[in-house]
Amino acid sequence: MGMLNLVLTNVTHKPATRLYPFEIRAPFKEFKGRIAFAPENCILCGLCQKKCPPDAITVTKADKTWEINLFRCIMCTECVAGCPKNCLSVSNERVKTGAKETVKVLVPVVDKPKADKAAPSKAASSK
Amino acid sequence: MTTVIPFGPQHPVLPEPVSLKLELDNDVVVGALPSLGYVHRGLEKFIDTKDYNQTTYICERICGICSALHGITYTKAVEKLFDVEVPERAEYIRVIVGELNRVHSHLLWLGLFADGFGFESLFYECWKYREPVLDVLERICGNRVIHSISRVGGVSKDLTKEQIDMILKMLDTVESQVKDLEKVFVNNYTVKKRTVGLATMSKQLAYEAGTVGPTLRGSGVSSDLRESADWDIYRDLGFKPVVEKDGDCYSRTLVRVKELYESIKIIRNAISKLPNGDIATPIKGFPTGEAIMRTEQPRGEVVYYVKGNGTKNLERLKIRTPTFANIPSLLLTLPGVKLADVPIVVLTIDPCISCTER
Repeated sequence: MGMLNLVLTNVTHKPATRLYPFEIRAPFKEFKGRIAFAPENCILCGLCQKKCPPDAITVTKADKTWEINLFRCIMCTECVAGCPKNCLSVSNERVKTGAKETVKVLVPVVDKPKADKAAPSKAASSK
Repeated sequence: MTTVIPFGPQHPVLPEPVSLKLELDNDVVVGALPSLGYVHRGLEKFIDTKDYNQTTYICERICGICSALHGITYTKAVEKLFDVEVPERAEYIRVIVGELNRVHSHLLWLGLFADGFGFESLFYECWKYREPVLDVLERICGNRVIHSISRVGGVSKDLTKEQIDMILKMLDTVESQVKDLEKVFVNNYTVKKRTVGLATMSKQLAYEAGTVGPTLRGSGVSSDLRESADWDIYRDLGFKPVVEKDGDCYSRTLVRVKELYESIKIIRNAISKLPNGDIATPIKGFPTGEAIMRTEQPRGEVVYYVKGNGTKNLERLKIRTPTFANIPSLLLTLPGVKLADVPIVVLTIDPCISCTER
């Protein structure tokens, strides 16, 4: 790498860097951008909350909500691997700085038959 | 009469805060006193609140440059507690990610080193060549810097055929670029003038000061944990440690340049021998007992001590990082060095202060 050679290549070629805010590289498809949540199958078991290292996920059974703090999330994907119903997945969409910090999702329904089953067992145990 | 002047904690050549009190006689250093503790985060205590799986991610965040090998070493230590066999494919993927990590770390260091003696264009070239390595790591692991690929029991992501082709293609270009860089680091007048014969450390002194990694190998001691330690997978990959005899800043630089080729060779061999099969074994129960795991990081030997007590939290985690072992050698080589050369000598141990203070 002679210095003259280097100077000539750098003069004749495009710069190696990008003008960041104006020119943004599209994220790779493998990029771990954020956790995507599909609430249809969620049973509010709370395993994702238990596994989350930075405590970014909060599952509230009473309000039937699933909440993630995007700024706390470290994209380790422990929750994705641990979800029994495969509700969670990795999306390659970037979380922008200054975006809404938390995302709260209302989980539609918890299966009714399960609730029925749970009720008698509770009654049995109390007896 | 001597004068004491502070070097750091904020200094243009230091990416991280470390303070050295330099005792000067005219402009020649006669003594140095380090003061550490500016970036202590208490991570060894913090693991009390997390279970042993979650601790992997804390260990990865000890250092931003050698994060993959911190995570791998921790998971291997915990696997020792469980006494489980990890699938071979997982081990090979760990080696590939670990060595890619070493390639980008050494390129980063070579750039910072060139910047240390004012060779700006070489600094930019090194960092330009590092970028494709980071892109490949991002496409394998999902993240540029914190890779989060190693888990207790295996790895979290498999390598696809497409990704393997991409790695091999990247290695070809990086190898030719490293050849260009090697010419400069080996032959350039400016580089030689600033580094040859500077802060020479004899083989005996390097050994007695407990030096590790490229700093030790630059003094002629053939000691590389990839060859000898608990992680024996490297033996099948045709690894040979790089050793230089002179013990000055120049030979420490050469060790790192030549290790780039060694890492590229290991990745190629690992890819050609990559076995099929699972990438993780399920782990049940909680860890008990104690274990020590040592691996070779870009900066040298890292030691992890873990102690489990049958609960989900580890009772104790102790980490000794390479820079911690290299600081004594820095203090022993600084006397006799001119003040203008101090940044170069400090950089040749590849200081990673965040690692040291955890």
